[in-house]
Amino acid sequence: MLFPKQMSEVELIVPSKDLMAVTRTLSGYGVFHQVDSAYLGLESLGPNAWQDKAGAYSTLERRIQAIMQNVGLAEEYPAKAEIEAVVDMDAVRPGVDRIEEEVKGVSDQLSGEKKRLELLESQLRQLEPIADVDVEVGVLKKSSFMHSILGVVPSANISRLRTSLLRVPHVFFILREDAQKPVVWILGPRSNSDVLERAAKSAYLNPLSLPDEFGGTPEQITAMLRKEIESVKQKVSGFEADLARLGGSYKSELQKLLWDVHISRVMADAIVRFGQLRHTYVVVGWAPTADLEDLVSRLKEASREILIETIATSRSGHHAQVPVALTQNKWLKPIQMLVGTYGHPSYGELDPTLLMAFTFPLLYGAMFGDLGQGLVMLVLGILMHNKIMMKGMQSLGLLIAYCGVSAAVFGYLYGSIFGFEGHLIEEYLHFHFEPMWISPMENILSVLSIAIDIGIVILMFSFLLGMLNNIRSRDWAHLLFGHSGIAAFVFYICFLAMLGAFLGDTALAPRVAVAINSLPLPFTTLLAVFGVFVMFGGFFRNMVEGHTLIEGKGVGGFMMFLIQSLMDLIETAISMLSNTLSFIRVGAFAVAHGGLSLAIFSLAGEEADAGFWITILIGNLFIIGFEGLIVGIQTMRLHYYEILGKFFHGGGMQFEPLKLSSSQEET
Amino acid sequence: MASGVSGYAAISTRVRAMYSDLLAPQEMTRLGDSPDLPALVSALKSTPYGKYLSGLKDNELTPRRVILQIRNRLADSYSSVVQQAPEQTRPLVKQLFRYFEVGNLKAVLRSIQTVSSWNSDVAAWDRVREVLFPFGAFASIPAQAMVESGSVASAVDLLHGSPYEATMSFAMKRFSTEQNLFPLEVALDLDFWRRLWAEIKNLKGKDREMGGKLIGSLLDLNNLMWVIRYKIYHNLSEEELINYTLPFGYRVRDEDVRAIAAGADIASVVSRIYPNIPDVNALLDHPQSGLPKLEHLLKQQVMRQCVSAFIGYPFHIGLPLAYLLLSDFEIQDLVVLIEAKSSKLKDEEFRPLLLKTTLI
Repeated sequence: MLFPKQMSEVELIVPSKDLMAVTRTLSGYGVFHQVDSAYLGLESLGPNAWQDKAGAYSTLERRIQAIMQNVGLAEEYPAKAEIEAVVDMDAVRPGVDRIEEEVKGVSDQLSGEKKRLELLESQLRQLEPIADVDVEVGVLKKSSFMHSILGVVPSANISRLRTSLLRVPHVFFILREDAQKPVVWILGPRSNSDVLERAAKSAYLNPLSLPDEFGGTPEQITAMLRKEIESVKQKVSGFEADLARLGGSYKSELQKLLWDVHISRVMADAIVRFGQLRHTYVVVGWAPTADLEDLVSRLKEASREILIETIATSRSGHHAQVPVALTQNKWLKPIQMLVGTYGHPSYGELDPTLLMAFTFPLLYGAMFGDLGQGLVMLVLGILMHNKIMMKGMQSLGLLIAYCGVSAAVFGYLYGSIFGFEGHLIEEYLHFHFEPMWISPMENILSVLSIAIDIGIVILMFSFLLGMLNNIRSRDWAHLLFGHSGIAAFVFYICFLAMLGAFLGDTALAPRVAVAINSLPLPFTTLLAVFGVFVMFGGFFRNMVEGHTLIEGKGVGGFMMFLIQSLMDLIETAISMLSNTLSFIRVGAFAVAHGGLSLAIFSLAGEEADAGFWITILIGNLFIIGFEGLIVGIQTMRLHYYEILGKFFHGGGMQFEPLKLSSSQEET
Repeated sequence: MASGVSGYAAISTRVRAMYSDLLAPQEMTRLGDSPDLPALVSALKSTPYGKYLSGLKDNELTPRRVILQIRNRLADSYSSVVQQAPEQTRPLVKQLFRYFEVGNLKAVLRSIQTVSSWNSDVAAWDRVREVLFPFGAFASIPAQAMVESGSVASAVDLLHGSPYEATMSFAMKRFSTEQNLFPLEVALDLDFWRRLWAEIKNLKGKDREMGGKLIGSLLDLNNLMWVIRYKIYHNLSEEELINYTLPFGYRVRDEDVRAIAAGADIASVVSRIYPNIPDVNALLDHPQSGLPKLEHLLKQQVMRQCVSAFIGYPFHIGLPLAYLLLSDFEIQDLVVLIEAKSSKLKDEEFRPLLLKTTLI
């Protein structure tokens, strides 16, 4: 749970005759992460024939998906799908062709009618400017001797357009006077059509394209267009219903075809990456060690002559090529998503999901402590998680529910319910509700100080986790002198002691720092000694690892090395201070939450009438939506910048096993 | 509403002071004697352009960069005049300033059309920004977003709410069928000059008279060069020539433009309008070299009008307009010098192109 699953490397030599059975086992079990081993094959055997098959299956799969989309079916597999062998292309293709032809006939007609509908609607829009003009458009357009141009022209160009037509006989109508888009109609002899067209074009006249099949005045045409649009809409509905009917009648057949072709495509894709020898195939990949025994027995069932070699992989050292499988737990999924946004743990590295599952709601609740609002968030989260509202956001729903619970608990501790605190609860809600721990609004400095204390504890824990990571990976140099190693940790402790001494008895003084300072240790000396270790951390790390002691010695000489080391020390000290003080925001937001509630109350007034309760309701919704989001961002920021950076590097390769599953998962 | 002596007292004094800062022909000749671009920039640093060039580092000494810097002076002049001009004349000055924004808009559209042929190591905007006029706070087009939009259609969509929206929406229909920027650019030019002329018509008395004279002269230059170029180079028909030109101006009348459009002898029309321009026939016999010379001579006609505005009654918009136009011509001369020095042209190749030193 705390670390990614232990992985083993798996190498298989598969006889050609058992190829399908083994591939089916590897794909069906869902624990084998395949590595491309095509390069291990013999080149003399020529191109892998499975390459073409994989391409053909992929094309067929896309065709089936397109058909399902056309008939309005979701891309689902049969409820009870068996994993069989790769299907014969000639056996499934005729079925796909037949359904596709039938669906295409209807969908082509539907698409044609939709295009016609679009055209008619566009023509209707074009007619709008001349809807009130009482002239028969079609008659003049069909004239044998007259050329007619109807269009919209920039008003500034009208006079010039008229001038440009002076040399040819013409009639010029302004059908609609409009400052922006006047509509004009130019009529002239057909023999001068080129002059008329050139003049119109150069005056930026945009012709109105009216339907040829309709005659009469614009008003009559508009009426006809509306009628035609209605008729086309009915046809569209008819074709859509036909497609839906087809979808219903072919649903099970299409789902079966999709499943067969899908598993064939996945298996063909897998085989393409096998190394092909003369009579055997080489398969390389990774599997979780816990699942290895079962995988091996299944493979042996599939092929008696298969050769299997497994190598367990130690967690120490660098394993960039080892895929990382995390423990799947549906309750931790939203936290895993948050961790995934920062980085995927590398093999051997501590998975921070469990820690974050504790600290994320804790910090969120501490900043957003309100019993009522927390419970609202809990209900909202449960509704989202159960797909009752905002479907497709189940994981976010779960996270909101966790944060809601924490906010409710802190609300109970802070004595806050829907923004009502202290005497306001008795006055308006008519019951007694005291803070079980502390009221942030009445103990501002104490709350800020506690927030820093929480930060110190979390940061110290993060340091320890960083050291644990280094021990597990046997990275002794970083354990001793790394940025989150022992030297840096002791330096941080001494730094806290100094902070405790500096802030002394002030209300803001973090109690942990003051307590450290009270220990009978020579912190000033220790700070100086471990400051030297931090300052020359790179030098000491190189010494432990046996590398050149001073990297880039030639660049700028020894003085440059000293300056860089000094800058490292200053940067470390500043970052420790800022990391620690960064947690003050936890207290600040707890106070701000109370402040925001007070602002809502001042808007609501004192009289407990309907207006008061509406304001309180809207205010609470605003706080949940707006402040809830900001606090969420701040909580993420604390984790990403202050906590995870201490011990978590990420950069691991995700474990993506070959999988043939008929279940649809949330993405 | 301030006008007359009270309205123009401050701006007239200011403009006269700025006018005295314009380079004398002798100074322009001296600048032309610089052996190369660094020497020219060094010489320019001792002129009123110095403050615009002082921050320029040696590695930034490219012609484009130097031109951009010196154009800042013109932008400052416009800004100063816009602020000090009487309220009723400000729309005219602002519209005249938009001439450079129209130029920027054209440059942006051209860059989008040609960006695919550019070296991809340099971002398109970084290349375009150096050729744009430094319009500053007066800008109404999102130039960078337009360049980065990647297509003319998307770029034009970004002009929503700008003064160019309506014009471009009409012209875009033609662009989408012809895939040529010509109709867009012509539409922008026509719209700019129509608006400018409309602003002059909104003025009264001496302002309208002087505005009409100076802007009209500039419009004459453009209108005449358009109709001649469209006829000779683009071979456009009469109706197209009429639609792509404007029916107003100071000396060039609509009948002149229509006569050229209808096929009248261009030289005789030009000679009738500008009897003091010699050998127009010879210029038009070789349009490749003759038309730039004709344009040069027409610009000098405008310059004369501008210089004459400083003589006589000074309390009108003519003085600020004349100063702004003369500043622009001066920068055009400096651009010639900068390009000439960076391309190492011989004296005889660039000196005839200078407006100020060849003005008699």
